[in-house]
Amino acid sequence: MHIRKYDIDYGRRKLLQNTAMGAGAGVLMPYGMAMAQDTDVQKAWPDELWSVEAQTKGKFKPGDMITKDNVEDIKHLLDDSAYLQIKEEGREIRIKAPERDISKMFNAGYYEATMNNLKPGNEAKLDSETGNVVTQSGKPYGGGLPFPNPKTGQETWANLAMSWGRADANCYAIQQWDFNGDGKLEFRYDFQWVELQMQGRLDGKAYPGHENEIRRQSVYFASSQDVRGTAFLSNWPYDQRKIPELYGYLPQFRRVRQFPANQRFEPLIPGSTWFLTDPWGAGDPYLTWGNYKIIERKPMLGAWNGNVNIDRENWEPVEQASNNKFWETEYEMTPECIVVECEPTAFPRSPISKKRVYVDTRNSQVCAAVRYDKQGKLWANFEMAFAQFKKGDQMVPGWNGKDPAWSWTYVMIYDHQSKRQSRTHNAERGTGIEGRFAADQDWLYETYCTQGAIQALGTV
Amino acid sequence: MDSFRFRMSKWLMDRRAWVAGFFVATTVAFAAGIPGVEIRTIFSDLLPADDPFVQVFKQHPNFGNPLNVMVMVKRTDGEDIYNEQTLQKVWDLTKNLDLIPGVYHERLISITTEKVTYAEATPYGVEMRPVMDDSVPTAAEQLRDIERRVERSPSASGYLVSPDHTATLINVAFHEHLLEYGQVWREVRKLTQAAEDDAHEIYLAGQPMLTGWVYKLQEQTYEIFGVTLLLLVLALAFYMRNVTGVLVPIICSAVAAVWGFGLVGWIGSPIEPLLMIVPLLLVARTFSHSVQFTERFYEILGHVDSKRQSAEITMGVMMAPSVLGIITDALGIMFIGIAPLPAMQRFALFCGWWAICIIPTGVILISVLLSYLPTPKNVDDIVGKGEEKGIHRLQRGLLTQIANLVQGRTARMTTVVSVILSAAAIFFAFQIKIGNPVEGSNLLWPESDYNTAVRAINGHFPGVNSLEIILDSKDDDDMQLRTASTADAYRVSKKIQHIAENAEPIPARTTISFSDYLERGNRLLSGGHPKWLPMDPEDKAVTGARVGVTFGQNPINFAGVSDFNFQDSTVSLFYRDNKQETIDAALATARKAVEAVGEDHPGFKVLLASGTIALQEASNQVVVRYHWLILACLAAAILVIATFAYRSIVAAFIVLIPVTLANFFLTAAMYFLGVGLDINSVMVAVLGVGVGIDYGIYLLSRIVEEYSAQDKDLGKTLTASITTTGKAIMFTAFVMLIGILPWYFLSDLKFMADMGLLLSAVMLINMFLALIVLPLLVWLIKPKFIERDDLIVGENVDLSHWTGARRVDDDSPSVPGATVTSS
Repeated sequence: MHIRKYDIDYGRRKLLQNTAMGAGAGVLMPYGMAMAQDTDVQKAWPDELWSVEAQTKGKFKPGDMITKDNVEDIKHLLDDSAYLQIKEEGREIRIKAPERDISKMFNAGYYEATMNNLKPGNEAKLDSETGNVVTQSGKPYGGGLPFPNPKTGQETWANLAMSWGRADANCYAIQQWDFNGDGKLEFRYDFQWVELQMQGRLDGKAYPGHENEIRRQSVYFASSQDVRGTAFLSNWPYDQRKIPELYGYLPQFRRVRQFPANQRFEPLIPGSTWFLTDPWGAGDPYLTWGNYKIIERKPMLGAWNGNVNIDRENWEPVEQASNNKFWETEYEMTPECIVVECEPTAFPRSPISKKRVYVDTRNSQVCAAVRYDKQGKLWANFEMAFAQFKKGDQMVPGWNGKDPAWSWTYVMIYDHQSKRQSRTHNAERGTGIEGRFAADQDWLYETYCTQGAIQALGTV
Repeated sequence: MDSFRFRMSKWLMDRRAWVAGFFVATTVAFAAGIPGVEIRTIFSDLLPADDPFVQVFKQHPNFGNPLNVMVMVKRTDGEDIYNEQTLQKVWDLTKNLDLIPGVYHERLISITTEKVTYAEATPYGVEMRPVMDDSVPTAAEQLRDIERRVERSPSASGYLVSPDHTATLINVAFHEHLLEYGQVWREVRKLTQAAEDDAHEIYLAGQPMLTGWVYKLQEQTYEIFGVTLLLLVLALAFYMRNVTGVLVPIICSAVAAVWGFGLVGWIGSPIEPLLMIVPLLLVARTFSHSVQFTERFYEILGHVDSKRQSAEITMGVMMAPSVLGIITDALGIMFIGIAPLPAMQRFALFCGWWAICIIPTGVILISVLLSYLPTPKNVDDIVGKGEEKGIHRLQRGLLTQIANLVQGRTARMTTVVSVILSAAAIFFAFQIKIGNPVEGSNLLWPESDYNTAVRAINGHFPGVNSLEIILDSKDDDDMQLRTASTADAYRVSKKIQHIAENAEPIPARTTISFSDYLERGNRLLSGGHPKWLPMDPEDKAVTGARVGVTFGQNPINFAGVSDFNFQDSTVSLFYRDNKQETIDAALATARKAVEAVGEDHPGFKVLLASGTIALQEASNQVVVRYHWLILACLAAAILVIATFAYRSIVAAFIVLIPVTLANFFLTAAMYFLGVGLDINSVMVAVLGVGVGIDYGIYLLSRIVEEYSAQDKDLGKTLTASITTTGKAIMFTAFVMLIGILPWYFLSDLKFMADMGLLLSAVMLINMFLALIVLPLLVWLIKPKFIERDDLIVGENVDLSHWTGARRVDDDSPSVPGATVTSS
């Protein structure tokens, strides 16, 4: 589709107009409509919004590398944090061609559920009293994106918060390296991160006995040696106004310890630059934040899709040769990124003044979640990359054991004030742990998702 | 008159328009650098870089971090802090302090921050909760519960809430690279002043506040500088009574100032604000040089009726004594740079350069200016022709009396008195205390807000002064075993704490270490019974406690006692003040403790030391180490210069002895005034030497000249010299005194007042020693060099070279050998 009747800036102008009017995504047609018609959603936006050449007046094209020497020419397509990382730390990012088949940007089951939510009568809504996501009849919603084409900041955030990993169960093996400002490795962890949806499940049914919860999530540390056996469990109520309870188990003392709410703004593990408020761009229930505002809709570069390393040992990305704090990464254009800001209204002593997240309209997934300190200064960026786990002939099966898995591939959390970096990746395995995309959910529940379970893990 | 000096003078004055152009162009070039001038404190640059304690501090800047503002909220109406009003104040203050630029958010702590937790063991596990929930409680029962929580919070009880529960502390740390002292001072004061009321007093202490006060009072200091400059100009006007005589010193001083500031502006070298008084002194010195030069010009102009030619002659005549005097000043300032204090080294460059700039401005520019500016009508009055009246007659009478003291039989008595006084001065000089003699800061008056706050905080909490004994890990990279949580580090730190808390004669008021946190964690996680406080002396147990305590927290929360990696850790010993006796006792205790536990361990070394006590000791030691060295270097330089100028080592000693004695008298005066010897007073001593040597050179040169003029009668020579050059010395000293003494009465900055007093004292001491001891030495030694008439510092000049073919006044020295001498 080639739209000659519009000038080169038409797309940007229309996105500005849509933002001002509170309209949904799409320039040439509403995104929801394009989505319903075809997996190839390019008809929703003119070519110029997909094209890095058009957006940089020919200075960049797919395959090019963004470096500190040329970043000024492409700054307008990057979030503030990525721009500063490139400029100040010498980070390098390769540009890849954008993905136009959105079915490759979802878990297959989650995609189906999302498409189902587009059908008349199946749309989710925000309850007028509580603000929680409910069906038209006021019941807890089923799986998939509740708002495939979000029109408000809160809908955008609800998409992020209601199902983090976009599957009923996720069991990641995560390796984390924590560097200080000089690039010296200071902490190194391997841990299992488990998410089990209690509501918002693909079958539309609650996990038995847990109707009032949206998920259970636990973290079990397998390495380093000193922290081995330590585990956390977080129980998320379905009611997004409530702050999840957080329990920790310390094997040395054989005791479960409850952590206070401020734990959401402290690192879960020493040395880490991320807080519980950070993961998935929406680490807290979305109604504990407020003053949501879509500040912009624009074409943008991000790690929305790509960075697949399943052909490498333990799926580990390549470390950037010139600065070991960073992985080698690739960004691609999204024709429409929603930039949303919100404030931690339920946390009067939060050290954060606001968060700004950059969400790809194609799959409502976040790439950059940037937090600002109380003085409004850039603090840290939780940068996530996503991909279908398929590369050439290689494929990692997903939730149903046959379709390719779709998940995050790396997370880098860069602290602009201390210059520290926590660098993680979604690994095949770690010390005594392994990643599972198709784990038995009851086994996950019993092994990781109760207080007794985390105690039992610690005695191993 | 074909000496180099005169050939050079002639060459320059023949091209005086070009020379003037050069000065204008150079001044414009330097002026362009002035916008780059930064007057600010860089805390770490005030510390001696080579001191082992400073090196330990720089390796471990978080331990005993001095860049901490302590805000103490004190309930004054007999109530305790557990009421809505007080807690709301602390809540609001904490929230607003967090918004000050440069604040280290993670290290902002008060009882209202979530980092301050208490713990309770429940049937469901151990609950860690903030002492304060998400809002300030209002119900009486809830307020009382806060008290209970504080008592259960190891980080709050005694450290953030005073034992009598009437005061609470907010600790605010700052990032050094983001810290703007002036802004922090203003904003903290604004917030706390707004929070004070009838029932609450707020006290502010800590290095950023102290430096903020210096910044604040700097504004007042500049006003006082204005007064000083005005007084100097008035004194000048009173003495010269003509426009040229006033304008010339001002222009020369201004040009030297522009060159001085211009250089540091161009090279981007910040100036320590406390030391800005030295440039003012340089202005006064330029005035004094200019007055002497101008007076001499008018003397010569009285004989040679050409301004251009008089200027040329004056330049030739005055070049050597002026250059020698100025070089001594400049060397004195530059030798300060020997001390390894980066701020002082930058300062030595700035002021040393400025002093050097006085040579071209005070010798060449001044000549060019005098040759262009109109001749005043009162030249005869200035050069002392006609009958002396008023103050001049009084002065002559006093100086004649002084001259009588240093010759004939009276000289013996004067010698005895001088020896006794000098011996007493030397004795008392050695009694002086090094460093800070007061509780709080000696930069400010004892009753200042800051020192009052220090006393108040010391009265309620462990204190603002700590000595840090650091367990420095040998392997920071080991991610399996973290040294701070090894059994050995635990054992060593607890033993050091035990020794320090039981030391005599001054035990530490309290101590804290990472091990204390681990013990509390161990107790808590083991069920809460006090018997679980001590840990098993095994790495596994101590590491387990560390994981228990630190998991779910930012390691920065422990930055006061452990580094980010839990490798290096510290034992903090708190003391009431940092007076020398406290420092000595604390360090003796620390050394004894290190000896008891051993310095070298398999995983770490025990390092002495950091914290305010150690840094004060480093600042004191740099004075001990460099005070005499700097003065000795200056003395050596003077010996060389004076020996060269007078071609006699005896002459060099005659000049040096009064200067050296002046230093002892000054130090003795400081002892009686209760001013400690620190690097700033070393600066005064060095400047005093510069002043003294100036007086000595001028007077000795006059003695040399008068000796032949007075038919080699030493008595008459001394009288003539003291009543002429002595008069100029007296005038110079009093001009400086007029400028400097008001500092003592006007400044709220005790440092400035002390400096005013000390500099005034040094002026007077040098004046009396130059007028009494120097001629006395000449009388006693009767040196041979005074018979010479070929010395470069001799200010005699044969004017017949210029006046032979022209009309001169009847009493002008128109025959070869006749001299015109400086008064």
